Amino acid sequence: MLRDITIGQYYPAESIIHRLDARVKLVITFFYILSLFFVNTFVGYLFVIFVLGLAVKASKVPLKFMLKGIKSIMIIILFTAGINIFMTQGDTVLFQKGIITITQEGVFLAIKMCIRLILLIIGSSILTLTTTPIQLTDGIEYLLRPWKKIGVPAHEIAMMMTIALRFIPTLLDETDKIMKAQQARGADFDTGNVIQKAKRLIPILVPLFISAFRRADDLAMAMEARCYHGDENRTRMNEMKYQKADYVAQVCLICYLGVIIALRVAAAKLPFFL
Amino acid sequence: MDMVKAEGLTYEYIKTIETDHGTEEEKVLALNHLDITVEKGSFIAVLGHNGSGKSTFAKHINALVKPTKGTIWVNGFDTNQEELVWDIRQSAGMVFQNPDNQLVATVVEEDIAFGPENLGVPPKEIRKRVDEALATVGMSEYTTHSPNRLSGGQKQRMAIAGVLAMKPDCIVLDEPTAMLDPVGRKEVMQTILRLNKEEGITMILITHYMDEAAMADDVYVIDDGNLVMHGTPKEIFSEVEQMKHYGLDVPQVTEVAYELRKQGIDIPKDILTVEEMVGAICRLK
Ligand SMILES: Nc1ncnc2c1ncn2[C@@H]1O[C@H](COP(=O)(O)OP(=O)(O)O)[C@@H](O)[C@H]1O
Ligand SMILES: [Mg+2]
Repeated sequence: MLRDITIGQYYPAESIIHRLDARVKLVITFFYILSLFFVNTFVGYLFVIFVLGLAVKASKVPLKFMLKGIKSIMIIILFTAGINIFMTQGDTVLFQKGIITITQEGVFLAIKMCIRLILLIIGSSILTLTTTPIQLTDGIEYLLRPWKKIGVPAHEIAMMMTIALRFIPTLLDETDKIMKAQQARGADFDTGNVIQKAKRLIPILVPLFISAFRRADDLAMAMEARCYHGDENRTRMNEMKYQKADYVAQVCLICYLGVIIALRVAAAKLPFFL
Repeated sequence: MDMVKAEGLTYEYIKTIETDHGTEEEKVLALNHLDITVEKGSFIAVLGHNGSGKSTFAKHINALVKPTKGTIWVNGFDTNQEELVWDIRQSAGMVFQNPDNQLVATVVEEDIAFGPENLGVPPKEIRKRVDEALATVGMSEYTTHSPNRLSGGQKQRMAIAGVLAMKPDCIVLDEPTAMLDPVGRKEVMQTILRLNKEEGITMILITHYMDEAAMADDVYVIDDGNLVMHGTPKEIFSEVEQMKHYGLDVPQVTEVAYELRKQGIDIPKDILTVEEMVGAICRLK
């Protein structure tokens, strides 16, 4: 049951987006997310949706997979929308009863926030769906390298992410086993209120933590036995190399950002509902 | 030159215990003046009941711990010398008991590459070594799989491949089959035997299974940190009573032969395999 949780869910396919260098994809995703907070008009969002649509199409990943991510954070999206609708002050009041006031500005803001969040989720899931965890961690390590001088442990961060990804399924399996063993002895995880349920998790967490520490100890020794000593004089089997498509993608990113800025400048002249 | 040579090897763990008067330190003698010599290319087995110091000995061969007293040379390198530690770990690889807790990466080939990457081997050479190592343990078809879906036996063979990719002269295996099912055990033992015979890699196998130890050239028995018996499997296992005294079993057929001798039946006491037993019984009149 816990096996269904997928983290860093990679969707294998042959596409241009899959072949792009992880570093390029990371940079593009970063600027894409920034751009979402820069856009403030519906025309702007239309443009972003158009670009995103092209990217989804090019990635050959079924849209279903992208939307999965949205389902899991629907509550956050609705909550954000709610706050924006009820809390925004404005001139054009649409509805008022007691202390509840809904303004036109609030409604527009809520819609924009929802679009923004959905675009954010879909955009970042393109990254994780088309890039293997290893490419991703290698990319992060490479991009953080310039910051090593000021003490950012680039290699260590990447190594920790790799190990976490390696052990998450193992620990999930173990949790499942512990729960089953306790259920077999009469433990009940399904009834009762939230607090009671949370309390019952303690007998699961204790053995899980003990085992995780033992695993960490074993793993540290195994890594040492295989000559691990940080990233000093370390080579990689798969080196990252930029291809032609990577340069094209970077040019596309610059054009995209240019249009976003132009739209922002033009925003002042647009009517409010656009 | 010998692969491993230990002289007066002694190791003490410092254990802190909580008492009424605060914490106290207690010394646990895990190894007591061990003298062991392992020839290059041989296959030796180390036996001993739980807590007798086998793992502690194994860790010395990999310079994961340093002797409290005495010296151990691995491939001629003294493990007391700090600057030789990488040479030692490259010469003597290590495979641990738990198949899950020694795999680092999320893809099989990346995990095999981990060792050579740490040694700073050039990328092309790593690729070659990874493919070779996976072929040697018969796991080529799993190159791009995730280790999570593999069986225990496959994971242990992967761990062996990970060590092979570092081009070691010797592999130390600390109860590699203890957590495996019979099929997995067989896979791993066949791999160990083949690597020893065909590639000439020295194998130091720590095990609880007597039938595995019976395949070795030489058997060492450790009891509470002391080396108490040493000889060929036939010499060791024919001493059924002594083995029992150290809390160890002998292979099932050897035990049967022992019981038969007790009943006055004239049968050799150093029978290790069913075939030998059949032969011996047929020779009885
Ligand atoms: N980290 C440790 N701290 C203290 N004592 C230890 C530690 N590891 C092992 N020992 C003790 O050293 C002895 C030998 O242990 P070990 O080498 O693991 O035995 P084996 O592998 O034969 O079961 C045991 O008495 C054990 O309790
Ligand atoms: Mg042990």
